Amino acid sequence: MRRTPLQSLALYGAVIVICGILVFPIYWLFITALSQPDALRAMPPKFWPEHPNWGIFAEVLNDKPLLLWLKNSVLAALGAVGLSMVVSIPAGYALSRFRLRGGESLGLVILTSKMLPATLLVIPLFVIFRQLGLLGSLWSVILAHATLIVPFSTWMLKGYFDTIPQELEQAAMVDGCSPIGAMIRVVLPVSAPGLAATALYGFVLSWADYAYARTFLTSAQQNWTLNLGITTMRGEYISNWAIISAACVLATIPVLFIYLFLERYLVGGMTAGSEK
Amino acid sequence: MAQTNSERTTETFSGRPQGKSTWFASLDLARPSRRHWLGYMLLAPAVLLMIAFVAYPLFVSLDISFQNVGIVRFDQPRKPFTTANYEKLFTSPDFWNAVWVTVKLVVVVTTSCFVLGLGTALLVNNHFKGRPLARLLVALPWAIPEIIAVVIFAWLFDSSFGLINWLMIKLGLIGSPINWFSTPGAAFSAVSVVMIWKGYPFVSIMALAGLQSIPEDYYNAAKVDGANVWQRFIYITIPSLMPILGVSMILSMLWVFRDFSIIYTLTGGGPLGSTETLSIMTYEEAFGFFRMGYASAVGIITLVICVVVSRLMLHRAPENL
Amino acid sequence: MLKALRNLAFATAASCMALSAIAPAHADTTLKFVSWQKDEPGVMDWWAALVQKFEESHPGVKIEWTKVARSSYVDTMTTLFAGGTPPDIVHLAAFEFQQFANNGWLENLAPYFKEAGIDLNGWTGQSACEYNGETVCLMLLYTGYVMAYNQKLFDAEGIAVPTNWDEYIAAVKKLTKDTNGDNIPDQFGTGHDTAGGGSQYITEMMNYILDTGARFTDADGKVTMNTPEMIEGLARWKMVVKDTLTPRDLPSADIRQLFSDGRVAIRLDGPQIWPIAAKSPNAADLKLAPVPFTTPVGGGSNVLGMAADISDENKKLVWDFIALAASDEMQSAYASAASSPAPSPRADMSEAKAKVEPFDIIAAGAKAASDAGIDRLPKGLEIQFNEFTKMVKEEAQRMIIEDLDPAAVAATMQEKAEAIQKQ
Repeated sequence: MRRTPLQSLALYGAVIVICGILVFPIYWLFITALSQPDALRAMPPKFWPEHPNWGIFAEVLNDKPLLLWLKNSVLAALGAVGLSMVVSIPAGYALSRFRLRGGESLGLVILTSKMLPATLLVIPLFVIFRQLGLLGSLWSVILAHATLIVPFSTWMLKGYFDTIPQELEQAAMVDGCSPIGAMIRVVLPVSAPGLAATALYGFVLSWADYAYARTFLTSAQQNWTLNLGITTMRGEYISNWAIISAACVLATIPVLFIYLFLERYLVGGMTAGSEK
Repeated sequence: MAQTNSERTTETFSGRPQGKSTWFASLDLARPSRRHWLGYMLLAPAVLLMIAFVAYPLFVSLDISFQNVGIVRFDQPRKPFTTANYEKLFTSPDFWNAVWVTVKLVVVVTTSCFVLGLGTALLVNNHFKGRPLARLLVALPWAIPEIIAVVIFAWLFDSSFGLINWLMIKLGLIGSPINWFSTPGAAFSAVSVVMIWKGYPFVSIMALAGLQSIPEDYYNAAKVDGANVWQRFIYITIPSLMPILGVSMILSMLWVFRDFSIIYTLTGGGPLGSTETLSIMTYEEAFGFFRMGYASAVGIITLVICVVVSRLMLHRAPENL
Repeated sequence: MLKALRNLAFATAASCMALSAIAPAHADTTLKFVSWQKDEPGVMDWWAALVQKFEESHPGVKIEWTKVARSSYVDTMTTLFAGGTPPDIVHLAAFEFQQFANNGWLENLAPYFKEAGIDLNGWTGQSACEYNGETVCLMLLYTGYVMAYNQKLFDAEGIAVPTNWDEYIAAVKKLTKDTNGDNIPDQFGTGHDTAGGGSQYITEMMNYILDTGARFTDADGKVTMNTPEMIEGLARWKMVVKDTLTPRDLPSADIRQLFSDGRVAIRLDGPQIWPIAAKSPNAADLKLAPVPFTTPVGGGSNVLGMAADISDENKKLVWDFIALAASDEMQSAYASAASSPAPSPRADMSEAKAKVEPFDIIAAGAKAASDAGIDRLPKGLEIQFNEFTKMVKEEAQRMIIEDLDPAAVAATMQEKAEAIQKQ
């Protein structure tokens, strides 16, 4: 690297400062969780609590059914991602390989669905799910989340498939494979990075949802997701911020975990996804 | 007419090809003229999902927006058609204030996300020790759920005990604490900061993806031609990134338009409507004042604005979608 | 391909079954009950006891009790009702049930009370539950405000507990200071919720407004905001907030925490402040006294009702639940749990008095407010309550931010309130 020591210093300095500032809020959440309740509003603010209460995590796990909420969030996210993949892989493939009439306007329609404020859809969706008997069941949020994920993932996968030369499937079909078999056996394995990126995107989106969970799952406590559960921790009369922060910290661990695993694919998946 | 073996196996209705025992096989989709069917079939599940759970509810909302409806009841007969909601909307100063606030927020947040996202991507694109960690950290806010981000920033922006006030006073930037959530300008800034923090990682990831796909040769050739860093940036980096940046800008913009939980939990749309965007207004009309017909009208108009703006932006780079 | 499809179908069916297996087995009948008070200190124990008693006397019936946060309570309930799946047992705040009654969603309880022979005369605040000639709910709690204060902070400044406005404002000013020398005030004389919704905001304002004799509307429902009394009340509110004699932009839960921590010297609040003060590490310093004003804030707090669109069988069960809540025994228990007089005139408060040290002060506050006919729900503006409170909050904030003359603000509020009323 033809970098002068000064340039190196500047670079490392910039990286440390910028990363520090950007990640600082997350750090603050962590130390809020560890602080004693009466030290929470101490002035001047403490950058590390005097008596860190590590037991807060055990306390919040005991106090609230966090593990149940965690399980529900995971199930909902896996279900939403699974459903979205099952639906958007064929769709992306179709848009990529077939010159379909309305192929471009379909793209725009898909984008339009990303413009809808949740409040507009909440009551009609509520009634639909009630008629399907899905209210209070995790399937309602799985379906609702899928509608959030499918547009973008279809488009992303389409772009990814575009980068895979059609010769691969054609070779397979010459060997006697059906078109769909070719898609499954040849194209999918090659597009693993793109699939991983889509899965990560879907997971984060589902994990972050609050509006739909709040509307459809309220009546079924055993199916509450983490976000829903955490917001119910704010009492009307008094709020224990340390406990709430501890719950928040625990709530971000799974998504961070998945993110750690799949992040490297995200860059690759996005690249291919938006090139022509 | 003589047929080759392969032709025989690709016949449809008349012949029963060997080795395939179901009627399904007779609908051989490998045949060129039938390929379209396969395409539509593959697309069908996605389309059906979106129709059932997006298009239909949207249609219902559209329907409601043309009725004088307070709280929606599906077991009662439909109320008469009226455009009163839309008339009220266009003459309401609150509505136009919401439009203005939304536009301001979109511009501020999207531009900042662009700058910060591109900046961090450029930074992290360099080779240095600990680069994977930096890449991870830079995009971390994206993974944090919005309601948790709000908890953190409400804390940091606390008027009396928040860290930000304390820092700004210590650094001499301000004389006395700013009341972040009861001063219109400050509230808008606070909301913007939170949204930028949540929004820039997406642009950063996309930009990084784009940067990594620019071939080194372009830069090498430019260096040979004597271009300096700035020129390389302007003439190679930016043009190559335009497609991907364009897309991420649109998606960012749409996110700001739709977002509700960050703004509502932080300021509730106040003070004095300084952070009341169209989506906040929709929510308040529906659940605060129980005027769901009117709320749906506001929502529909929001949708129309989004469509128009996206169309305009896409026109500038139509080949990307 | 066919094999792949078949496998996919099996996988989907299997996951369907797996997910549905997560649903718990149902008892014979389940009554749905939604409340925000499921984990509130004090009342939560009363509710738990009520639920348990009910289930014991009704074998085969289970109550599915769900907590919904207060901040999202109304729109969650609205969605449930609008979607046709209301909870059987309806728990609402006293200022929000009107919309539900207006839509015919609450069952008329008058025949039930009559048949059961329960006399609601003298039931505090019950008149608010009369809507369009029907008894749509049972008033669970009518409260009056008290003044909670930190004796230690008062002693440090050498001031006595205030008994009127002038003493109050003088004390508050003296008690707002910087205690650690960094020039940022970190101790406040008083604490008000200025971040909550409209209804909480006007409740806080009413502390000062009522003292001057101002009222939002009169007994006939006519708006009476452009009065000298209101102007004085607004001026006092402006002074307290603008000069930051209270922490800014905090919701009431955080203010109460600050009071408990000893950073806020006075907290004007309902009886819910007592359990919090009693549990505080500074409990020895925290005391209650009557508010230093002519009339304390008061009003109905929350109500219990029955959904109209449920099966007759469920209606009978819900009635049993309500009757149980109204029974003398449960009402007496309520007083101890809520640290406040129960609305029933037949409730026995001796246990409450023994358990809750300042019970008499709390009871006196409730009586004073009730005698003066105070309710934060202004007569004539019940349906438009949310809009009205939002307007008042905005105009009050404008007054503080733009430093407007309270006289002008009172006139503006009068005009806008009348416009809202006409809608």
